[in-house]
Amino acid sequence: MAGDGEMELHVWKGDWNLPSVDPNCLAALAYCKFAGVPVCVKKTNNPWKSPSGELPVLIHGKVTETSINNIFGYLRKQNWGSDFDLTNKQSADVIAYTSLLEEKLLPALLHSWWIDGKTYVDVTRPWYAKAAPFPLNFFLPGQKQRQASDRVYTSKGIGENVLDTEIDAKIYKEAKECLNHLSYKLGDQDFFFGSSPSSLDALVFGFLAPILNAPLPGSQLTNHLRGCPNLCSLCTKIIQRFFPPSAEDIDTHKKEKQEEKKMSDASLDFPHKKRNMFLSAIFAAIAMVGYAFMSGLVQIEVVDEEKESSPSPAKPSEPSNFEFQPLFTEDDEQQEDS
Amino acid sequence: MSSILIEAIQTELGATERWPDDVRLYQPYPNEQIVFPDYASCLSVKTFLHMCGLKFGVELRTNAEEMSPSGKVPFVKIGPFLVSEIEPIIAFINTRGFQLNQDLTDTQRSEMKAYMSLVESVLVNSELHLAWLNPEVVNEVTKMRYGSVYAWPLDKILPWKKQREVRSRLDSVGWAKKSIDEVCDEISTCCQALSERLDKQQYFFGDRPTELDAIVFGHLYTILTTSLPISRFAEVIREFKNLTDFCQRIDQKYFKDRQNDY
Repeated sequence: MAGDGEMELHVWKGDWNLPSVDPNCLAALAYCKFAGVPVCVKKTNNPWKSPSGELPVLIHGKVTETSINNIFGYLRKQNWGSDFDLTNKQSADVIAYTSLLEEKLLPALLHSWWIDGKTYVDVTRPWYAKAAPFPLNFFLPGQKQRQASDRVYTSKGIGENVLDTEIDAKIYKEAKECLNHLSYKLGDQDFFFGSSPSSLDALVFGFLAPILNAPLPGSQLTNHLRGCPNLCSLCTKIIQRFFPPSAEDIDTHKKEKQEEKKMSDASLDFPHKKRNMFLSAIFAAIAMVGYAFMSGLVQIEVVDEEKESSPSPAKPSEPSNFEFQPLFTEDDEQQEDS
Repeated sequence: MSSILIEAIQTELGATERWPDDVRLYQPYPNEQIVFPDYASCLSVKTFLHMCGLKFGVELRTNAEEMSPSGKVPFVKIGPFLVSEIEPIIAFINTRGFQLNQDLTDTQRSEMKAYMSLVESVLVNSELHLAWLNPEVVNEVTKMRYGSVYAWPLDKILPWKKQREVRSRLDSVGWAKKSIDEVCDEISTCCQALSERLDKQQYFFGDRPTELDAIVFGHLYTILTTSLPISRFAEVIREFKNLTDFCQRIDQKYFKDRQNDY
């Protein structure tokens, strides 16, 4: 171990009972847990922390590793690994299945998160806009969407005579086949290679857990994945065993629930109800007073002023007292004068 | 690229005539025109067809790429159907009842798919990288060959257009910025995995060939035998003795012994 400072892992924050929502961040977190790496997890939500503009990023002293393969490779070099017990053949399988995931499952995953219109508008864009820090939140979702659509369409079809809908059908078909293959490979074992988790389990968990837990309305992938019980139980097993909810999470979760309870349904629909009522009351009051001045009261004031101003040259030093009572006193004085 | 309806029609028609006599495989001219990534995929398809013991004729067309339904070579014409690219072709032929993997268990079939996608992602991308992004190879070999069948100014425009397409494709999967060393590392990792999997067996899954063997042979044989200004890929592969032996074995059995064309 190099031992130069502690390792920091910057990731996207979690939601929907997951430690992170991003597949690669999840995989990196899971790998660190499997291997017991003493890493300090920072939920920065800021891809500008990373030189490649992508999270997760691992910072250890002067070393900065970005992509998931490089992070795994670096940790392995530092002797933190969960794959040391594997045979050579099994390590070869890890490499093969990694590319299966990236080739077949990733396009469909990106499609259902970023390109499917409903999910993008209802879930993905609001989530990232909320999570990202100030200047980024405006353009990050759009930028990530462009990258995703590049990845899905440019890499799949070069010909001009291939329609996007054909590509969509193809990637979902491939992704479902990929899920089936993963399910066959897992069989009824605890993890892909026996009873202890490997880096492949980390990657699969990263890909599958968001499909399973995130609210993707009507996603074909979610439905298909529910049909593979061994993959579902792999995900829940990893969450339960390696990501038990910390005290902090439970607290924040409780607080959120309490707040939700406090707010009635109506107040959820109109969160600024009281303020709006107050403002409209003020507006109505101003309008009424204004109308009153315009129509009736103004004339009275003018009359008053004329009354007051014609005799006032006699006493120019007193206008500060011009309210109600001085009227009488002046009148009295005038009467006295006359 | 096919909807469920088309698949149903394919199976229906396939039942009446499993393998017509006039099956044709279309590809660009191998000696003058074809670029080696395309050559590798053509060779994979041919090897697969030979392994299935299916008869077919090869048609050479300068515009095979434009004729293909997906814009990629090779494509085969089976009765009234045009099918392009290796995976759809394999799937189509499977629906006709010719299967190389029927003896495998589900787990083995799943592993086979995983290794196939490993080859697809690593070897195909590195071939494209070398052929279209390496300045030396692009200028000395690829553009000359690709443009050789067109008249001026098309012989300059079309290769340039193709290069742009390949660059954006590689860019979208994060390969465009890789250096030649990084690409060689990728190939080395891939071959390491394949070599471990093959071990001392005759084929990847025992003593009967599968489509994985066809694909691996198509790509490795092409990289090993194509002479290019940069031959580092071949050097990497030659380090794995069992893979080169494997290529020779398949070459002998399915091409030299039967006097088939490449």
